[in-house]
Amino acid sequence: MTAPPEITTFEISPTDRPAPPPRSGPFFVVVLLIGLAFAVAGVVSGGIAVVWGLASGVLAAAALRWRGLTSLPGESLAIVFASALGLGLSGWALGQRGSSIEGTTALLAALGWLLPGAAIGFAVWRNSDRLRLTSVWVSAVGWALAAFFVFLWAEGLGATEGLSRTAIQAGEIVELTPTFYATSGFFVALIGAGVTLSLLVGSPALPAVAGSITFTLFAASQIGFSVIKVASEADKLNVLAQEFWPAEWKWANLTGQPVANQIVEPMVETMQIAVVGATVGCLVALPIAFLASKATTFNAPTFWGSRLFMNVIRAIPDLFWAMIFVSAVGFGSPFAGALAMIMFSLGIMAKLLSETVDGVDPGPLEASRATGAVHSQVVQYSAMPQVLPHYVAYALYIFELNIRASVVIGIVGAGGIGRLLDEQRVFFQWDRVMAIAIVIWVSVIVIEMVSVTVRRRLV
Amino acid sequence: MIEFRNATVIYPGGLKALKNVSLTIEDGEFIVVVGLSGAGKSTMLRAINGLVPLAEGSVKVSGREVRGATPSDLREIRSDIGMIFQTFNLVNRSTVINNVLVGRLSMVPRWRSTFGLWPKADMETALQSLERVGIIDKAYERASNLSGGQQQRVGIARALAQEPELILADEPVASLDPVTSHMVMRDLQRINRELGITTLINLHFLDLARDYGKRLIGLRDGELVFDGDIANVDEDVFRGIYGRAITPEDLLETAGP
Amino acid sequence: MKSMATPNVVDAPPRPEPPVGPRLIRWGVTLAILIPFIWGTLGLEISPGRIARAPELVWSIVSSMFPPDWSNTGRSIEKMLESLYIAWVATIIGALFSFVLGFLAATNMAPRWVATPVRATLSAIRAFPELVLAIMLIPAFGLGPFTGTLALGLHSIGTLGKLTSEVIEGIDEGPLEAMKAAGGTRLSTIRFGVLPQAMPNILAYWLYRFEINVRASAVLGIIGAGGIGADLFSFLKFRDFPQAGMTLIVVMVTVLFIDAVSGTVRRRIITGEPGKGPVSRLLGLLRISRTAQPA
Repeated sequence: MTAPPEITTFEISPTDRPAPPPRSGPFFVVVLLIGLAFAVAGVVSGGIAVVWGLASGVLAAAALRWRGLTSLPGESLAIVFASALGLGLSGWALGQRGSSIEGTTALLAALGWLLPGAAIGFAVWRNSDRLRLTSVWVSAVGWALAAFFVFLWAEGLGATEGLSRTAIQAGEIVELTPTFYATSGFFVALIGAGVTLSLLVGSPALPAVAGSITFTLFAASQIGFSVIKVASEADKLNVLAQEFWPAEWKWANLTGQPVANQIVEPMVETMQIAVVGATVGCLVALPIAFLASKATTFNAPTFWGSRLFMNVIRAIPDLFWAMIFVSAVGFGSPFAGALAMIMFSLGIMAKLLSETVDGVDPGPLEASRATGAVHSQVVQYSAMPQVLPHYVAYALYIFELNIRASVVIGIVGAGGIGRLLDEQRVFFQWDRVMAIAIVIWVSVIVIEMVSVTVRRRLV
Repeated sequence: MIEFRNATVIYPGGLKALKNVSLTIEDGEFIVVVGLSGAGKSTMLRAINGLVPLAEGSVKVSGREVRGATPSDLREIRSDIGMIFQTFNLVNRSTVINNVLVGRLSMVPRWRSTFGLWPKADMETALQSLERVGIIDKAYERASNLSGGQQQRVGIARALAQEPELILADEPVASLDPVTSHMVMRDLQRINRELGITTLINLHFLDLARDYGKRLIGLRDGELVFDGDIANVDEDVFRGIYGRAITPEDLLETAGP
Repeated sequence: MKSMATPNVVDAPPRPEPPVGPRLIRWGVTLAILIPFIWGTLGLEISPGRIARAPELVWSIVSSMFPPDWSNTGRSIEKMLESLYIAWVATIIGALFSFVLGFLAATNMAPRWVATPVRATLSAIRAFPELVLAIMLIPAFGLGPFTGTLALGLHSIGTLGKLTSEVIEGIDEGPLEAMKAAGGTRLSTIRFGVLPQAMPNILAYWLYRFEINVRASAVLGIIGAGGIGADLFSFLKFRDFPQAGMTLIVVMVTVLFIDAVSGTVRRRIITGEPGKGPVSRLLGLLRISRTAQPA
């Protein structure tokens, strides 16, 4: 047995290690804690704003201290003081409101939140070597903006529930409830602390998540949507089964014709609308797409002009186009439907293709320009071949979209099977609606399968 | 004949890429332009066919002023100048013959090019150009299926299809291996000798410059620092152009991949 | 060209014949487009006369929308906001459910006997246009934004589920193998191997879906499922064009704004670096990090 070779060891000096970049994850807990701090404080405040601020300040400072984000007792004191003063001011401003919380009141109330925002931002800045003093201002403004929007939406959040409806309508000034303080405080602090701490992490994930949650709750309350409602109405799905099943396939129309062929004929019309719309739309989109790309455009006015045209066309939903053309061409006209589908296809194709043209290799374009070719030749011979396969794939995709879109445009009177759907819908003939829906469903699936197969072969 | 008179190019952003260059190139010359990257070699070539606009001075090609030419005049000037690129600049998805026909675009009526109805004579010119560079057998293949050396020959054929008075080659061998580099350089030399086409080539390999050049132009920081017979060029001249001693990276033989 | 007929051309190889294949394909494609197109135009009774008259008719409508009637803009904005809320909640529903279903539908994450039926379900949902779904939900949930949100949400589950599963199937399997080799559990493989690769694209699809949902929810009002569509429908029906013009402008401005913001964020997520658009530049003005400061 030979002696093992001597192993050289490295002297490891921990001071050489770079500090790890901060991650959002651990900070999320702090953000949540600060949010809870303001909520708990709201509950214990008994409706008095200064108490609300004082308690929030203490709890929030404790949460920050726990993660080592503040160091001096002075900083904690500053947070407590700023919070008490700021929330006191905010509460006073809210107390001045009229029948509901409106813009000016919300703005005034939001200004108070600049103080805790600035204090917490200042403490974090003091204890970080990565932040500039700007972060204090950003933090303060972040808190105030959050407060502004939350107060504007506060009624939607159910935060003014404690106020009686009559009191609000009479414009009476009522004491703000602890519930109001708790809910609004929670969301403001969640977003505000998210902003402050995201500055440390250098990613906007924290306020984005907090803001999304708040906005979701608000939006849901505005349209009367809630998990509870979904759960309680789930049993209504039975109604669906009873109403829709079995589907009725044969019914007589006004002229006494049996209906089997009445579904087929509009469906064929739908296909025709989709074909014509896709073909013309994709063709017209071609020059617009090249003009709307920096790589192949003619000059600045044509570039911006075609981009504006393209974006405006795309900004109007397909059914609105159908409605506009129906009022122009006449109710029940498939021609209006075809025009609508042209605009729909045109917008999407121009957008997709111009983005593809942006990415072409500019070398061949320079080469053909150097031979003295005219602009249209340069585009046709050097740019077009590069994007052609994409163009074909997009065209097939747009044909698919057109089928889906053209089955419904009949609802507004633009021809196709949608017209039939609308006729039966307004008379609550759900079993017939079911039959039509099945036809639509099957055709969409079949077209999609064919189109996907072809696209896969092509590209 | 090409005449540079105090030609100056300033890029947007203020970079002066060509400073006050004056020189004259006679018909049928074979000229090599050397200099470090960023010395203004590409800019000088592109000033000749107006791909880069002059800020001051003038460039005349066969007596026609490039600076301030109307778009249609500029196209006419360009139609007599073939250009060859470092990255070949072929449309990879098109066939070889279609890439060569790009060289004929300025000579055919627009409606013909729009529908791809090429006149017989133009088709013939394109095919002969391919024959001249020896890849006629690849005429109907996709450009992307060709090797690097073959692709550059398609690039040369595209320039030849213009039946040009002048060929500008911008680093034509920089993306090729040593053996192919020599083949492409020999092709260019042969074309210059047989057809009498004035040829300007940018190179950054000094040995290639010495092997093929007749007249050498040296650029440094956009200024003309050498212009003369290549026979008179020695280490000191190169040092003057490069601003440093010659390293193995400056020679194809030692730097090649 | 005579000057080029020099001796060394003589020994050139013979010229190849132009191949027939591409030409046949070109004709085939031309016919494949032309024949359905002609069939379509004939079926729709599109005559040259009607096409010639169409621009005039459309112009008369558009010009009668101007100047728009701004008197009810406040209500229109409120309705547009309702559409926005519907779109947002529907996107959240779609995102939450499709996230789970996307994993179950990805063949590299779930066994075949799970992935195949999940996939089929997703495409079955997707095949119903949003409006048809909404119509079918009306008998149970009545008219109003609740029904619209459910319909849009369901459809979003279908589309997002498919896109999510495609993103997951497209990830690089190398890191996953390395983690399995290191003894990682299934969950930790997903957390450290799949999510970092797939999340940016999935997030971008959520935003993209939101952009689409804004358009879709603007339309829902036509059948009474909430949002601005009902207003526009009745304005156009009763030929109150100035008001219709105002409503259209509200829709357009909102959609363009949402597109611009969402597009910027999407680009930022995908490329990981700030873009060059106006929104990114504005954000770039707030230089906060000391390390990012120019020297």
